[in-house]
Amino acid sequence: MIHFDEMACLLYLDGQLDAARSREMAAHIGECSSCRDLLHALERETTLLSTALTEDTEPMPARLISERARSLPSWVWTLAFGAFAAGAYWVWTDGIAPWFDQLSNAGFGGTDMFSMIVFSGAFWEGWSDMIDAMQVGAVILLAIVAIGWIRRRLRRSVAIAVVMSALLFALALPQGAAAAEVRRGQSISVPAGETIHNDLIATGGTVRIEGTVEGDVIAFTRDLTVTGHVTGDVIAFAEEAVIDGIVDGNVRVFSRGAVLQGTVGKNVSAFGRSVDLISRANIGGGMIVLAGETDLDGKIQRDLLGLVGRSNLDGLISGQAWIHGGTLTVESTAEIRGPVTFEGPQEPVVEAGAKLASPIRTEITQDVRRTRRSTARVVIRAIVSYGAALAVGILLLVIFPGFFSAALREAAKIGLPIGIGAMALLIGVVLLIPGLLLVFLGVGAGVAGAMAYAPILYVAQVFVGAWLGNKIMGETSVATSSVIGRMAVGLLILRVAGFIPVLGGLMWLAVLLWGTGAVLLGFYRMSRVEDEPLPA
Amino acid sequence: MSPAEQAVTQERIALAKAGNAEAWGELYREHAPAIFRFCRRAMPTREDAEDATMDIFIKVRQKLSQYDASRPFSAWLYTVAANHCWDLLRRRKLRQGLETGDVENMPLEHPDPGQLEQLMERRTGQEVRRALDKLPARSRMALVLRYYSDMSYDDIAATLGVRRTFVGVVLLRARHQLREILEGQGGARLAAGGAA
Repeated sequence: MIHFDEMACLLYLDGQLDAARSREMAAHIGECSSCRDLLHALERETTLLSTALTEDTEPMPARLISERARSLPSWVWTLAFGAFAAGAYWVWTDGIAPWFDQLSNAGFGGTDMFSMIVFSGAFWEGWSDMIDAMQVGAVILLAIVAIGWIRRRLRRSVAIAVVMSALLFALALPQGAAAAEVRRGQSISVPAGETIHNDLIATGGTVRIEGTVEGDVIAFTRDLTVTGHVTGDVIAFAEEAVIDGIVDGNVRVFSRGAVLQGTVGKNVSAFGRSVDLISRANIGGGMIVLAGETDLDGKIQRDLLGLVGRSNLDGLISGQAWIHGGTLTVESTAEIRGPVTFEGPQEPVVEAGAKLASPIRTEITQDVRRTRRSTARVVIRAIVSYGAALAVGILLLVIFPGFFSAALREAAKIGLPIGIGAMALLIGVVLLIPGLLLVFLGVGAGVAGAMAYAPILYVAQVFVGAWLGNKIMGETSVATSSVIGRMAVGLLILRVAGFIPVLGGLMWLAVLLWGTGAVLLGFYRMSRVEDEPLPA
Repeated sequence: MSPAEQAVTQERIALAKAGNAEAWGELYREHAPAIFRFCRRAMPTREDAEDATMDIFIKVRQKLSQYDASRPFSAWLYTVAANHCWDLLRRRKLRQGLETGDVENMPLEHPDPGQLEQLMERRTGQEVRRALDKLPARSRMALVLRYYSDMSYDDIAATLGVRRTFVGVVLLRARHQLREILEGQGGARLAAGGAA
């Protein structure tokens, strides 16, 4: 007897044999038990396959369910939110609130605090110069790729757990700084002759260090005076800080007024309204100054980097000097051994007798700079940054299409995202202030906060651009290429509009708020059960 | 589906085509679970399945005007879903080896009906699903299209881009691969039984 093969049996079962062959098969299995058994086994396999495939074993994920299930939030999100809330509460009570208390003890009440942070235009101008959009773009690209990679391999709940624990870990780090001698009180002093064999954290109205600290000094105070010897670094948040003794390490001062007249072994970073270096001061390393005004009479053994409204140089700088700011005066007693670069709105004043290794290289900034800068450079820069923004957008679209469409949908609501963005900016500033303080204690929280915020600001333009493109070219297709096309057009318009004086700046501010709001709302929508799972 | 239900679905489609968000929401709620399960079976990870489901419904909403009312709606949905998923998988080059040529040329061992029957009796749905996850993308896709979506050989051929006469071969090869994996989980060897 000629048997049918397995292929024929399968086709027979699936009704794919032609009528003649089908009849032949039916007749054959009536007589042949071997083929009948095979057919039966295959049928059984089909049943098992269908059952296995159609059995309902997995619930619909929350983000795909519509409003019916809103009352049943996923336990993962409940847990994650709970953990986050607990973490935030703990950070506030254990971390931020005491710092604020200490700060107000030390005389930094509301407006003082604010004036210290925004003491002069130089501060913010400086940052905008220092933060290169390209670098932010590169970091974001890397982060997107990394997250995409993690997402491919981890389930959402695992990814959340990883992110949450990383966040909590970053926030938990500040506790490590507590392994030091802590002194509190209205007036704290380390008298001459006393030696502290540990780091010292001092908070109070006045802090005087006349003795020796074999470690770092971290001070929150109104008046800080160091006339003794500190073998480590001095980190100070003060209204007035005077460093008159010997510091073997670095000095980092945030204060309204800072006066340095002693010896510093390493580098000095000073942020303040006024920063002065008295003639007998000697800094073994370099100096960074961000200040409203500075008068540098002492010796700086290496380089000087300044973002300063008004600078007076009368001392020695052994390395090179780079100063960005309003005015620069080099007095007759000054000696600068390296090259000097000045960027500012007017030519620096160099008095007769000043010793300079070479003439000051001057770049006139602001209004004049714009006309001087070659058009080609401006255009190339604009094209490159346009390309970077577009690349970030495309990557987001390709790797997180769900998030992209969610954020884009939110952007279309205009008013809501702008409001949320403005709110987030305010909260961001409030969080960034303690964040900045924490950074200077070697803590990850501030960095983590800034790292989370900067990319959102950068990505903001992508969604506003995409929205603009949609408005102009019409919201028709969902194909990736056409979304990219719309985004490209929108971003281009934003870039071009950005060149308009004044209005361009205002537009960018609106774009930042708007896009930030859209991104945050997008995150929010992705994280919860959706009202309307699909775009209109 | 009863004629009454069909009428309701058709009416919803007509309303959704006209831009009625509520009707669209109903359609979504009705069909999304099945499409998600389809994606879950076809795609390698749950994340992929979630993303694919969202994208499929975005596509469906835009293509709604192209839907031919003479066909069952769910069959059309599965076609869109299958094309989307297969496109994604192909683009990701997950379709390793086993191109048409291999399937054509590799001889398939004839199974022993008794042992095959036994193997199928001993395996649970969960074990089968786990084994399915280990299959090459095309084999898995073929089985899902046929035994989950109940697609015709013609539609499977169109989706996978193979000739219609190969669909049976692809399916049979997939079953053999699946049996091998299931056996590897501790079953008896399916030795060659009666020859063709």
